[in-house]
Amino acid sequence: MATAHIIPPEELHPVAEAYRRCTFALNLNPVPWELVRQDVESIEHWLRTADADAADRFDSDYLAVLGNDDGGEDSSVEAPSTRERKRRAVFELCTRAVGRALLTALEEAIRVAPDRELARNHLNLSQAVLAAFADTLPYVDPEAYRILGKAFLSASDAIGSDGLMNHGGVSFDVPRFRSNLQTVAAYIRANFGDDFAAGPDAWLSPRPLASPTHRVRAVAPRRLPPGANLNKQLPRPRQILNMAARGVDESQTPLIALGDMAFDSAFIFGEPARSLAMSCNTCHNKGVTNPNFVVPGLSSRPGGMDVSNNFFTGHANNGHFDPLDIPDLRGIRFTAPYGRNGRFSSLREFVRNVIVNEFNGPEPDPILLDGIIAYMNEFDFLPNPHLNADGTLAASASDAARRGEAIFRRPFPQMADRSCATCHVPSANFVDHQRHDLGTVNGHEPYSMDRAMDTPTLLSSAYTAPYFHDGSQPTLRSVNEWFNTTFGLGLTEHDLSDLTAYVRTVGDGIDAYEDSVYYLDAEMEEFSFFLSAFEFLAEKNKPELMNATFQTIALEIRNHKWELQDYAHLPTMDALAELMDEAYEANQLGDWDRVVGSVEAYRRLYAANMEDLK
Amino acid sequence: MKFKILWARPIAVCFVVCLVGLAGHSPAWGASAPDQATAEQLKIAFISYANPQQVIEDIKPVVAYLEGRLRVPVKGFVTLDYGSSVESMRNGHTDVAFVDPLAFMMAHEQIGAIPLLLEVYPEGKPTYHSNVWVRRDSGLTKAEDLAGKTMAFADPVDMSGYLLPRDIFERKSLIDGVDRPDGGFFSRVYFAGGDEQAMRAVFNGFVDAAGVSQYAYLLLRPEERDQVIPIAQSIESPSHLVMCRPGLSDDIQRKLTQSLARLDISREEDKKILDKLYGVRGFVEAKMSDFSSVAPIAARYGFIKHPATFMSDAGK
Ligand code: HEC
Ligand code: HEC
Repeated sequence: MATAHIIPPEELHPVAEAYRRCTFALNLNPVPWELVRQDVESIEHWLRTADADAADRFDSDYLAVLGNDDGGEDSSVEAPSTRERKRRAVFELCTRAVGRALLTALEEAIRVAPDRELARNHLNLSQAVLAAFADTLPYVDPEAYRILGKAFLSASDAIGSDGLMNHGGVSFDVPRFRSNLQTVAAYIRANFGDDFAAGPDAWLSPRPLASPTHRVRAVAPRRLPPGANLNKQLPRPRQILNMAARGVDESQTPLIALGDMAFDSAFIFGEPARSLAMSCNTCHNKGVTNPNFVVPGLSSRPGGMDVSNNFFTGHANNGHFDPLDIPDLRGIRFTAPYGRNGRFSSLREFVRNVIVNEFNGPEPDPILLDGIIAYMNEFDFLPNPHLNADGTLAASASDAARRGEAIFRRPFPQMADRSCATCHVPSANFVDHQRHDLGTVNGHEPYSMDRAMDTPTLLSSAYTAPYFHDGSQPTLRSVNEWFNTTFGLGLTEHDLSDLTAYVRTVGDGIDAYEDSVYYLDAEMEEFSFFLSAFEFLAEKNKPELMNATFQTIALEIRNHKWELQDYAHLPTMDALAELMDEAYEANQLGDWDRVVGSVEAYRRLYAANMEDLK
Repeated sequence: MKFKILWARPIAVCFVVCLVGLAGHSPAWGASAPDQATAEQLKIAFISYANPQQVIEDIKPVVAYLEGRLRVPVKGFVTLDYGSSVESMRNGHTDVAFVDPLAFMMAHEQIGAIPLLLEVYPEGKPTYHSNVWVRRDSGLTKAEDLAGKTMAFADPVDMSGYLLPRDIFERKSLIDGVDRPDGGFFSRVYFAGGDEQAMRAVFNGFVDAAGVSQYAYLLLRPEERDQVIPIAQSIESPSHLVMCRPGLSDDIQRKLTQSLARLDISREEDKKILDKLYGVRGFVEAKMSDFSSVAPIAARYGFIKHPATFMSDAGK
């Protein structure tokens, strides 16, 4: 029954899905109007099957809101007041449309009773559409949400049963069925009917403003939109830590252990990343990339995200949709400056900025930053037997690669007499530590200074598709074709194949992926490594960092326990997580003996059960 | 159990699948509906809990495997509920069917169906039970605590989603009779329409407790599961099973039983077949007496008339 760590998406009815995603999108700045349009269309499409007149009205109202505007093709220049007016109006229209769709489903259910099968279908449909509001209602109107839930339960119960093989049937209590659904309908009509208004909040959400039990001050936690995927790639990339390759005893490297923990920790971030259990590792899986990572509205394609957005950190939004492909961090100590556009010369400054300004975290303790840097300094490129130490090809490389190497080192007048190797310097890890404007950046002003990008290394690149800062090139070959076309290099098909063979050889490495999709045992071992920083943190008197360690381990164990191949060991996993909870609580209370006791108990319990936790 | 856990899916898009509201009599599914009996062809009814098209795909390797071992043509088809499988067997369109214990016992009484194999579940046993589930933060710790509380079950004609969990309260003399236990011990009882709906009702706090299968927590999302805990457990019921029509040749019965019972999850090629067979761990031969624990319960509610048949193996 074990599954690798894949969290299935929540299954939502298309209308609920479209509504939740478009609400998310309408809250972004800039608003991704194209995404909104797609979801508006699904809502309209679905509403049309239920109520064609309402769909027509929805459609014309939507167009009226957008006005002459073509949907904000260049939304980066939309005036704040226009954006505000439009997004509120569209949000209100969508909410009313979903309310209408829900009311139609409820009315249908009421009408088709006592046909059991149809009534059941329409009941299920109504509940599925109500899910559009279910990320908000339970938090802002829990009393009413419970009443709606019970009404649905009672309606379901009233349907009765055909029985099994003509036995045990229960008749359909039609009046009870109808009156329960009328309860739901009344609530929807009052709160999400034709005069629904968005309310004063800056962050739009479906608040039941007419409900007497509505808690004005309560806020629903921020969720990612449907279609978001934080699951990591499987099998996972093989991480190569320099210390492990050198056979260093792990228990002697507490600073690295602290960094490893932090890299896996949601607790160094602030909200909403923290509650969404995001960490560096979500995007840089094992220090590499995550080609599956996607958040509709914030990513333009899987494997990347706009890291300066108003969802994860309101204060540091740059009001600009500029998604970037997640870079591989292998060999990061050799590839300064940092950021796709090389805007940070110091890795430490870059990481602080990630924590504080990209994911809304508190100012990190200097030791924590030291730890993350120490850990990242261990990230090595994949070993590549086809390369010599000076970056030339080894004897084992193919003939095609060898021909490609000559092209790579050939200066082209079309590139101002530079060769590929001028920027991707083979003897210097294929970087030149410079920023260049190659014309890969679209959509900026002609004289913008934003167009230059830092030269990326080509080492280990065979496994980090897609390419360029925005992930716009799907393969290494397409990158080479891009250079050939853009600079008119005049390379033949044959040349391009050779050049690609070369770049692929440079980007290659041994065992890029692990050979199993089950890695719970490795994960558990890593948690013990996190905990090996405990004595060091105690000595430095860092209770906060200890807390982050305990919380991170507890959360990770709970997230990973469903990967157990034998669920008989779930109680052990729970016990380990509880020991970390206990250490955390005791630490909060300053009960030092109990902190130490819990840590030791964890170590003992893990040691005794290591073999089974896989 | 009115739902099926698909224990193992290589990539779990959703590795639990449930049967939701299959009211009414559903026909056999799609083009591969059983046709008139052809001599020499073994016709097997598989049950679909969610996605019939998927099951049609899933059973292909199973059918191929069985054809290879039985040396007779095998035809697999999919039905949407146990009632249809039994009906189809009654009409001579089905030789072998995958059913739950309640459907089997009824089919045995009504048409003489024979139990062949029980499924083995992850804990290594060919049995399972039902639990009373509550929210972890509810403070409820035992069945007695549910006096005056609200309770959700799955469906009134469901062994693990009603009869078994209900039996927990009967054994403690908290409820009696055969009527739905509304307004007595419980303040209110709901049939939620399925295991998942019942579990969600507890999870969301719409009811205080739910009585459904021990595996129903897997129908919640991973991050939700820890919020719901069991506080009482029913007697063990035999697992779901493979049964055949009376009169199916002894030779085929024997070969079929052997072919499925020999599947060993630790062998990669066998695991592939088991994964397709609802992801169970394996199969063991079934005996009539395996049903001795649940026959009296089925009889109390009138689903079967002669529970004594299931008390010994004389009948088989
Ligand atoms: C949401 C996904 C995401 C998360 C979470 C994330 N990163 Fe990144 N990371 C990116 C993207 C996208 C870039 C490119 C951003 C840029 O150029 O500004 C990047 C760039 C980097 C770089 C620069 C790489 C280079 O070659 O220039 C470093 C170093 C880095 N991240 C480290 C971290 C650390 C440490 C954390 C955790 C504290 C973290 N990242 C969390 C997505 C993420
Ligand atoms: C003037 C410096 C310069 C030259 C010359 C140059 N590159 Fe690059 N290369 C870059 C920069 C800068 C980027 C990043 C562009 C971006 O992210 O938009 C890049 C990106 C790449 C990438 C994608 C790497 C990744 O991880 O996204 C490959 C592959 C590549 N170059 C190969 C070549 C080849 C082959 C040539 C010769 C035909 C070449 N480069 C010439 C600077 C250069």
